[in-house]
Amino acid sequence: MTTLTQWLRDPNPTSRRQAKLGQLWLGWLRLKRNPLAMAGLVIIGLLLVIAAFAPVLATHDPIAQNLQNRLQPPLTPGHWLGTDDFGRDIWSRIVYGSRITLYIIALVAVTAPLIGLMVGTVAGYFGGWVDAVLMRLTDIFLAFPRLILALALVAVLGPGIENAVLAIALTAWPPYARVARAETLTVRNSDYIAAVRLQGAGAGRIIWGHIVPMCLPSVIIRVTLDMAGVILIAAGLGFLGLGAQPPLSEWGLMISAGRKYLFEQWWVATMPGLAIFIVSLGFNLLGDGLRDVLDPRSAAK
Amino acid sequence: MTLLSVKNLRVTFETETGPVEAVRGVSFSLGRERLGIVGESGSGKTMTGRSVLRLIRPPGRIEADEMRFDGQDLMRLTEREMRALRGPRIAMVMQDPKYSLNPVMRVGEQLMEGLRKRDRLSRPQARAKAIAALEAVQIRDPERVMEAYPHELSGGMGQRVMIAMMLIPNPDLLIADEPTSALDVTVQAEVLKILDDLVRSRGMGLIFISHDLRLVARFCDRVLVMYKGRVVEELAAGDLLNAKHPYTQGLLNCLPRIGGDRGPLPGLDRDAAWAKEA
Amino acid sequence: MSLIEIDDLSVTFTAQGREVRAVQGVSLRVDVRESFGLVGESGSGKSTILRAICGLAPVSGGSIRIGGEVLRHDRAFARRVQMVFQDPYASLHPRHTLDRTLSEPLAIHGIGGADQRVMRALEDVGLPSSFRFRYPHQLSGGQRQRVAIARALMLEPEILLLDEPTSALDASVQAEVLNLLARLRAERGLTFLMVSHDLAVIDHMCDRVLVMQHGRAVEELTRAELAGARMQTDYARSLFEASADRLMG
Repeated sequence: MTTLTQWLRDPNPTSRRQAKLGQLWLGWLRLKRNPLAMAGLVIIGLLLVIAAFAPVLATHDPIAQNLQNRLQPPLTPGHWLGTDDFGRDIWSRIVYGSRITLYIIALVAVTAPLIGLMVGTVAGYFGGWVDAVLMRLTDIFLAFPRLILALALVAVLGPGIENAVLAIALTAWPPYARVARAETLTVRNSDYIAAVRLQGAGAGRIIWGHIVPMCLPSVIIRVTLDMAGVILIAAGLGFLGLGAQPPLSEWGLMISAGRKYLFEQWWVATMPGLAIFIVSLGFNLLGDGLRDVLDPRSAAK
Repeated sequence: MTLLSVKNLRVTFETETGPVEAVRGVSFSLGRERLGIVGESGSGKTMTGRSVLRLIRPPGRIEADEMRFDGQDLMRLTEREMRALRGPRIAMVMQDPKYSLNPVMRVGEQLMEGLRKRDRLSRPQARAKAIAALEAVQIRDPERVMEAYPHELSGGMGQRVMIAMMLIPNPDLLIADEPTSALDVTVQAEVLKILDDLVRSRGMGLIFISHDLRLVARFCDRVLVMYKGRVVEELAAGDLLNAKHPYTQGLLNCLPRIGGDRGPLPGLDRDAAWAKEA
Repeated sequence: MSLIEIDDLSVTFTAQGREVRAVQGVSLRVDVRESFGLVGESGSGKSTILRAICGLAPVSGGSIRIGGEVLRHDRAFARRVQMVFQDPYASLHPRHTLDRTLSEPLAIHGIGGADQRVMRALEDVGLPSSFRFRYPHQLSGGQRQRVAIARALMLEPEILLLDEPTSALDASVQAEVLNLLARLRAERGLTFLMVSHDLAVIDHMCDRVLVMQHGRAVEELTRAELAGARMQTDYARSLFEASADRLMG
């Protein structure tokens, strides 16, 4: 263990990989000092574990109905979070639902920032009419409330989980484009960009190799903070019946199903609601902590 | 008469890797004279100047056996008493006027603010005093400068305004931290001359902090040479060419001279012993 | 024939509808293996001339020729002309290791043997090879400027443009960097075009110097004329008198 930390802290790394890992290690040390960020990280870690071991952790089949057992309250033997209107175990449904939530988050987190980064850096680097066209396009997307736009897209594409992801990704990229463009504008006139341009580098190499690394931290922070919103929109689409379709145990869909019993059997809607709340909180806490670690303005010290 | 006496001043910063001492046991005393503090970056010269005003933010910490200004023990004063001292008794001019002036306030308002609030002068009285202060730093059209915003002034003009502002309450001690380093050489000479005349005619004490040994030698009576948080040599400005410490000699010799030979410039071989505490 | 020929060069920036004429009708010649200095105060347009040569400032009139050819900013230009910037804290990419910074020009030009070349470059500028995978923030100002010089020399150019290469450094570090530049010039037969506000630095490094003020050329001086204080114009003289070097008397 000590030799590993020594290797990571070596002021004179002997390879690219060691240098990179050393920097990551320093970032991790900074993150570790922030207890709230660590709490967020633990929540997200738990989410990953639950999704990975869903078949082990679930006590019942999430879609097996048992109408004799419907609407059992929490702490019923065998169903510690109770059952829903078809007698399905809520705990097992939440556990399997975490897989759907993660699937949505992962797809959106990969696609939307990538589109945003490309649009933002290209617009910021070239400026002029390229900038005008791309940014007006971004403005058009930004002009609609996200949920409404996602609704419209799903209405066109048809309901379903893949289409929901597509709709969310298409509505989520404009803020990243804005962030990336703002960073690009501050970086593009710096001496180190002038230096690489003087060496004859083309626009592609400059944007990808030199500008994108400077935009990444703010985009990563933004993505983490946005994840809560993504989960909520996915749940919202599910709630409205436009996302995941029954009998899939998506959390938003579960709340929607519990709505009818909200006053007499509160747990049916509350339990998945709590799951959404906790995971959103986890991402927000982690995002705040990452901001302290990654933000170049605070890291400069 | 001693205006300021500092004994065994230490400034320590707590960092992740343990405490770092930026100033390590600096002692000096100052009358109504001009004292220069010279050193390279990281020598602790700026921290020494700021310590006198107790302007070190946490995690920095100031310790001193003694720090007396005009009979008052600066280490014992409350933050409130310190505030009463900063400005009226001890003033400070920083390197870049851009960061010292409020960018959204006209220069005149900034000059008059203290006069109106602290000295309770009426607006016309304050204005007259502010204009007189600008004239004292040889600004030819003070009326126009009063109406200008800081960004409309050139660097030299901005630094003159700063000096005017600091000298309005007639302080006993002026700390100038690299006051001309951001200025062009021809402007630099003018600003220094103005500063010098004002300090002499009002009989103030001056602490002039700079990296430029030759400049300090010309505008000060005495010079402290700092290296890694310590004073390695103290000497009269006139004796600079006879400096004994190898660091001071090295600093003087490593500068190119017009008409000098073009051989390699002598480097500065740092001796670990210089940084050791005596 | 001169290596760098600048004739009647003008550079005009437009900012918020106002035209700023940064350089107005400046001409100069730099011979092969010569070291030529541009000196002046802030706003004199001296740095703008360097940036115009590199295509980083808009030329509005006149011509720049390198080796008799009209300037074209292509890859061939990059192999002839390189630049060292003023602020070593701003001219190195903060998220690239020295290895990446130094091997980037080789990758752009498809030059092989990057490993040996990077090690050689570090050695040439007097940095230990153990620094290869450090990031810029792990270096001092002087070490960073050495890296910037190494980067500029990776493509083995004949012309090095130096934009106040030592003004952000401490005096003793300045001496080291100036010595390094002088040694590299002698070893590689480089041509220098150097900008500085410090006459003593220019005098130490350059054979001829052009004094500039408000975007115009004021006076050209040889080293002997400068050392003998034989300048014709008042401005050049006042710059000479104000030079910190004179203060000691």
